[in-house]
Amino acid sequence: MTDVLIDHFTYEYPGSTVKVLNDVDVTFKHNHFSLLTGPSGSGKSTLLYFIAGLYPHFIGNDALGGIKFGDTDIKQIPSNEISHSVAMMFQNPNQQFAMDTVIHELTFVLENMLVEPAKMDGIINHALAFCGIKQLRSRVINTLSGGEKQRVALACIVAMDPPVIVLDEPFASIDPDSRLDLIKKLKQLQVEHGKTIILADHDLNDYKGVIDEFYYLDPDTHHISLLDSQSAQHFFDNFKNTQTINKQVAIPTEAAPSIINIKDFKLQPHHSLLLKLGDFKFCKEKTTLITGANGIGKSTLFNALTKLLPYDGEIDFAGKNIQKIRPLPYAKNVTLLFQDAENQFLNITVKEELDLSLKNRTNQAYSIDDVQTMLKELSIDGRDDQVVYSLSEGQKKKLQIIEMLIMNPPVLLMDEPFKGLDYHSLEVVVGFLNRSKQEFHQTQIIISHQLSGLDTLIDYHANFADQNLTYQEVIK
Amino acid sequence: MDNKTQPATNREHQSKWTLRNIILIALIAIFTGIIFWGAGFLYTALTVVLTPIGAAPFANDLLMGLWCMAGPLTGFVVRTFGSAFVGEFLGAAVEVFLGGQWGAGAFISGLVQGIGSELGFAFTGYKRYDWVGLNASIFTTVVVTFAWDMIKNGYNKFGIPLLLALFVTRYISTFIFGGVLTKMIVRLLDRSNAFSL
Amino acid sequence: MNPGLKLLLVMAIALEISFTQSLIVNVILICVSFIYILFNRVTFKALIGLIFWPLFPALGLFVSQWLYGSAGIHFAWILFTRIYAYVFLGATFTLTSSITDLALTLEQDFRLPSKFAYGVLAAFNLMPKINEEVQIIKTSALMRGEALHFWSPKLYFKAILSSIQWSQNLAEAMTSHGFVEDQGRTHYRVIKITAMDWVWFIGLFGIVQVLLFFIRY
Repeated sequence: MTDVLIDHFTYEYPGSTVKVLNDVDVTFKHNHFSLLTGPSGSGKSTLLYFIAGLYPHFIGNDALGGIKFGDTDIKQIPSNEISHSVAMMFQNPNQQFAMDTVIHELTFVLENMLVEPAKMDGIINHALAFCGIKQLRSRVINTLSGGEKQRVALACIVAMDPPVIVLDEPFASIDPDSRLDLIKKLKQLQVEHGKTIILADHDLNDYKGVIDEFYYLDPDTHHISLLDSQSAQHFFDNFKNTQTINKQVAIPTEAAPSIINIKDFKLQPHHSLLLKLGDFKFCKEKTTLITGANGIGKSTLFNALTKLLPYDGEIDFAGKNIQKIRPLPYAKNVTLLFQDAENQFLNITVKEELDLSLKNRTNQAYSIDDVQTMLKELSIDGRDDQVVYSLSEGQKKKLQIIEMLIMNPPVLLMDEPFKGLDYHSLEVVVGFLNRSKQEFHQTQIIISHQLSGLDTLIDYHANFADQNLTYQEVIK
Repeated sequence: MDNKTQPATNREHQSKWTLRNIILIALIAIFTGIIFWGAGFLYTALTVVLTPIGAAPFANDLLMGLWCMAGPLTGFVVRTFGSAFVGEFLGAAVEVFLGGQWGAGAFISGLVQGIGSELGFAFTGYKRYDWVGLNASIFTTVVVTFAWDMIKNGYNKFGIPLLLALFVTRYISTFIFGGVLTKMIVRLLDRSNAFSL
Repeated sequence: MNPGLKLLLVMAIALEISFTQSLIVNVILICVSFIYILFNRVTFKALIGLIFWPLFPALGLFVSQWLYGSAGIHFAWILFTRIYAYVFLGATFTLTSSITDLALTLEQDFRLPSKFAYGVLAAFNLMPKINEEVQIIKTSALMRGEALHFWSPKLYFKAILSSIQWSQNLAEAMTSHGFVEDQGRTHYRVIKITAMDWVWFIGLFGIVQVLLFFIRY
């Protein structure tokens, strides 16, 4: 029996006084599938890293309270045996492999676990077959899609065969088929192989009927509570609501003026076709929403639009082939709001960041007073000297949005701009974006899973599916 | 960004050869290697311009500071014995694997530059992570690499005036890239609290 | 030949010809390496690159030595061929050996602690991602109105911030894949240095010594 007992567990980050986990006292039951949810940045990952035995080693300060696997305190397990008790799957599929190919990574894992070489082939074949990826055996990991990489990560865990498996938002960047398939595989591991599964996710799709327990980490109290089926249902319903709006939008007419035109376009990184477009346009001074499943290629399309990735065919901006526009002017005309706010930062303090935007903006649309008002409305004013990297994820996102609005590029691409924002902040940001569009003639193209609250902003809706991008009248 | 907060803030500076620090040194070396790779045209262009007047070695000496940047950087980020050497050597190895125009010569240069860079930190007992330590490293880098080029690139057959000019050029280059630029980078890292690894 | 021994041999010979002054030995090394490379399925494009790019430094050294050197044209030719010898010697290693094999033999045969072998290997395997990251850093700076060049502190600053984050992620991932510093491991693929490897190593190194001893021109 390996219940995972979290015993009066309290933790604060080094140098912080906020208890990110406050007297957490829960038991993740043996041979159950537990889902842990809560807003991003609330401390779910931190708890999982402690359960996986990676913290405190990799963070430096310890927590109060304890973690037990059954009767064994995690601290009594020697470091070279911990992986026999628990294995972890990470959020970022890119930085979780040491080796070049799938087969090399699997042997690396087994060598670490001191498995006899003669037994390895059998274990590896079984793990690959279980995960349905026998054909990936000799592939170079860097050339795999996000979904394939997470399947390889699961194969590693299957090969390791520990009783407890923890997963930290493992599906954040993978396609829905892979997601559903991996959730099924996890269920199979639980039911047929007696594994204890603890999975953190804020996306609640596909878990209904699969999970045994639903835990919620409250971002205000920093407590974790086990929800009864009624409250769990409430969460599932709520989540569904954030992903829908009831709105009919028009389909752009032939005559609607365009700003970006895509012709005979093919996007195929690593030779797998993501998108093929004969003729497509984004309309000028409008907000276009792009929807579509995770990992399908939406962000990759943005990478092509910003010349970060090669593509076949032609993209025109204001009638000119973007390959013929010099890098700096182009970047200031067609600007991307990166999904990861830190990618956008170039300076150290909040004031330096804002000053940089004020210095380099394309026009004077926003006054200094405007900037102060915006900061206030998103309640991140008065932080002039704070180091941007020490802001919370939500604060980083708010600062990033404001500094990119100040730049006021004619075309602003936004990749999940509302991720990590509470609903009130989202409404404020939508107001900002509407002003940018109406007063300053900005064209906006948004990738977002969060849909509720965007009614007043969206003019057109393009759906990304089956390697195609098509305008639609309904948003769902 | 990951859900977990950066574990970097406000921790005592580790200076051990942990798995993490080894990966960190290698990553910094590869990053700098790739950035210089982008600047490789500069060397070729300079050489083309300088060859007709027989001044091509100046291209080497002008860019020496750039090639010797990985050492001081990794030496400052991971403050322990050997980190500057390993960083500089791996930085050179990256060039070899990217298919540089020096082949095995880059391995050897990497060794020599690594020793040069490391000696400065060694002379200051791995305690002076400031201008003193940096200048010591610049000095040892210039002396060691120059001595090496006396042999390898035949500098010892040049007259004293030319030698002196090459030496001064190399010193200035190393001072600017390995010194001033490194110091500016380190200051940015310091201010962002990234150093409390 | 064992990749570790091969690297050692290449480096030892490269080091040695830096000190010695034999034009003919340089040329012999270039020819032998060239033939070895040809037998190892190298693309035509790579071969042309190998010949073309070193021309610049080689010619540069040649001309300056010829004009200002005190040792005459013969020494200038030595420097010229030395550059090519380095390049072709290096290519015999890089074009025919995998970094993975090198890491394996360094761990198993050269007693390099596994954390060095696999830590560096893991970083090298991220090379394509690092290339992309440099592009992202530059592009995102352009979007803020700043062009970053190889002399811009912020370019390195952002690169090191990414390195810090990635090294943490990778080290955690490797640890969760069962890797523990300074602990024993089993080896699925045992890479041994065979007697034949030693024969080649000593034989080739010996031949170079003999050549260098007898051929002084």
